Amino acid sequence: MANTIIGSTIVIDGEITGDEALYIQGTVKGRIALEESLYVEEGGEVEADIETQNVEISGNLTGNITATERVEIKETGRVVGDVKSPRILIADGAVFKGHIDMEV
Amino acid sequence: MAIQTDACVIGQGISINGRLTGDEDLVIEGRVEGTIALNNHLMVEVTGTVVADVEAVELTVRGTVSGNIAASQVVSIQADATVVGDVRAPRIIIEDGARFKGNIDMDVPLPEGL
Repeated sequence: MANTIIGSTIVIDGEITGDEALYIQGTVKGRIALEESLYVEEGGEVEADIETQNVEISGNLTGNITATERVEIKETGRVVGDVKSPRILIADGAVFKGHIDMEV
Repeated sequence: MAIQTDACVIGQGISINGRLTGDEDLVIEGRVEGTIALNNHLMVEVTGTVVADVEAVELTVRGTVSGNIAASQVVSIQADATVVGDVRAPRIIIEDGARFKGNIDMDVPLPEGL
């Protein structure tokens, strides 16, 4: 399975859509809509509203997240925004500010 | 110059609409619309489609590019490629089998009086 990697010096300003896993080590501003998993890696900077299946955040993310399966904020992750997903995990050490909706 | 094996890849299932900038090698297998400005080697693979004005150091096209291209070193339009747009670079290579429509400017110094 092919993966897309947005490298650390890459800056994208706009909209990313797709149906394969996306790894962000660089900077993305705008909107991301994926039918797969999104990984914001350490060093990654995302300022975008996100619609996806799974998200794993080890970097910085500002924006609202809607995930159909799972959102995981790792210990190095920093998220500001509202999160909506049936499963949400926040690791010890992670920084989060916003609203959480697990559709309870 | 060959592209680095650990280059950033925009995969086949991804489309980007907007502005893309960067300093590292980039391989496009998916679709990019907007503008691209890269301080390195850009490769548009066979499955890649670019509808954008492109600035790069080196550009290699195997897929489809529609838009104006400016490269500071070399543009290589390979056998499977389709390019529509104006190309400006000191070195431009068009292989047998490639389809191209547009102007080419290699910054050739014109003779006196022309």
